[in-house]
Amino acid sequence: MGFTAIEKVLARTSGREHVHAGDIVYPDPDMVMIHDGLVREAKGELDAIGIKQVAAPKKVMMVSDHDVLYGSDRAAERGAFNRKAAAQWGIEGFYDAGRGGHGHIFPMEQGSVLPGMFYFDNDTHATNAGAVGAFGLRVGNEISRVLATGTTWVEVPKTVQLELNGKLPNGVQARDIGFYLARQVKSGKVSVDLDYRVLEYAGDLDQFGLGGRVALCSTPTEMRAAGVFVPPSAAVLEYCTKHAKRTFTPVFSDADATYEARFSFDLSAIAPQVSLPGNVGNAVDVGEASGTAIDHAFIGSCGSGMYEDLLCAASFLKGRRIASGVRLFIVPGSERSTRRMVEEGLMQIFLDAGAMLLPAGCGPCNDAVVGPVARGEVSLSTATNNNHGRFGPIDARLFLGSPATVAASALAGKITDPRTMPADAALRDRMESAYV
Amino acid sequence: MSEFNWVLRGRCYKLGDDVPHAGDVIPASFVTGREMNPDVLIPHLFERIDPGFHTRCRPGDLIVTGRNFGMGPKGNGYVAMQALGLGLLCESTSVQSYRAAICSGLRVLTHCTGITTLCDTGDDIECNFFTGRFINHTRKQTHDFPPVPEELRELIAEGGNKGWLAHWWQTVGASQQA
Repeated sequence: MGFTAIEKVLARTSGREHVHAGDIVYPDPDMVMIHDGLVREAKGELDAIGIKQVAAPKKVMMVSDHDVLYGSDRAAERGAFNRKAAAQWGIEGFYDAGRGGHGHIFPMEQGSVLPGMFYFDNDTHATNAGAVGAFGLRVGNEISRVLATGTTWVEVPKTVQLELNGKLPNGVQARDIGFYLARQVKSGKVSVDLDYRVLEYAGDLDQFGLGGRVALCSTPTEMRAAGVFVPPSAAVLEYCTKHAKRTFTPVFSDADATYEARFSFDLSAIAPQVSLPGNVGNAVDVGEASGTAIDHAFIGSCGSGMYEDLLCAASFLKGRRIASGVRLFIVPGSERSTRRMVEEGLMQIFLDAGAMLLPAGCGPCNDAVVGPVARGEVSLSTATNNNHGRFGPIDARLFLGSPATVAASALAGKITDPRTMPADAALRDRMESAYV
Repeated sequence: MSEFNWVLRGRCYKLGDDVPHAGDVIPASFVTGREMNPDVLIPHLFERIDPGFHTRCRPGDLIVTGRNFGMGPKGNGYVAMQALGLGLLCESTSVQSYRAAICSGLRVLTHCTGITTLCDTGDDIECNFFTGRFINHTRKQTHDFPPVPEELRELIAEGGNKGWLAHWWQTVGASQQA
């Protein structure tokens, strides 16, 4: 009997020959990640006990992405605390505000998160590591235990396999697959429970670049998956090898691995999706939401903050102006992408279109510490979820769509099918080679 | 760990399915504010769905819930429940929600399939979290559920993540780091 990728990775890091779903293990992680929003709580907890050191400071990556603009005194104080904490703990992998970017994006881009790796993270969206065939596991506040002792308990998750067959039609993107998945599960058309499962993709995956693979990780996370695994393609392995900051060994599930469930989608049958307010699973084909006027738009987040997503947005915005009355925030996932936007002409396109650029990080997606909406306003974004109140007022109406749908809608001033709006072909073609 | 009280007996407070943590268990502002101080959280526990709950509940009382309690990974309200000496019995909850409850030192069982049919609010109920035995004294019925897994008992008995860490530091960590 074979093993799934997560079983192999947890066996290696737990010093066991093999582990099975349901086992409780104490892995020695390849890395530990904590973001700017939780450092104060974790350090306060350890300081109160008298624990002044972390077990493995060289393994720790401390990122600043949740609140990088310091729009309040409280945020500035938090940032100052984090800098002192990094110094006191001796964290060399400290990425301050304005350095690095989004913790679930830039480490993959720069070769710090690599195929076959396992790491602990305080944050739910560590699942993005699956885009390169790695595993990041959220442990929430227990990150303090990981920092102090080097590990904590992990129940080995079961794995569910989703086979993607065929090719996505033009104008339909990887984020649409996630919304479609949530819709199928919520409506009961697909009977699968992702709670604490690893969702492993299979099938025709070579069409997805690194950005598409990141997008594939997003919505399953909102469905409570413990991890997402996209088996790395030759192109992804080539990129990772070129940029790797450490040695790595890719891991794949065995052909006879045990899956809790298997199901498949015909990609050619999927239209652009729009999640209606309240839940990612409230998705409908874009046509059912078309025409709804919007006030606020945002392209970025864990799910759509890759350079491919920025190229996609630019392909629609080039030579056009955002509709009067709509404000569009563009939030790159990394400082590296921000630099590329300047070097490769995207910045000018966004400025000419009237979009606003925010520093790399979570942007409005973190409790709207920047770019909130007003009461009763309508937003369409690529945020990770559209739970009521995520962008501030509880009565605002928050829709989700792909970067293409958000860009086209921001231009039209209303929810718009991106297939009805021509995009710049040269920019769109560059999406395929966004990460080489 | 042997002196730890694994048995709670008290009044049943029964809730339905899909109770969101942010909003119904504890106001969302404490979740987004990452508030973990029990003194701050206690007055607001179940504030929206059961105003004044914290003034009526007593140590040993048990919250019984339907499926998908908490609806996500957040756990600030568990800190208040633990500090009040309450226990939690769920038909189901997400694994990350369960993790948050265990991490706060709360005596909690999940996978209690059918428990909402075995009791009503106000019943005199008892649960042994070590063995999984559930007794409804009002109805004079007994039922067995999966107990706290052996690997996680120490974490609960030490008072959750904070207590476990303090114990680890006193017994192992300080000498290791020295």
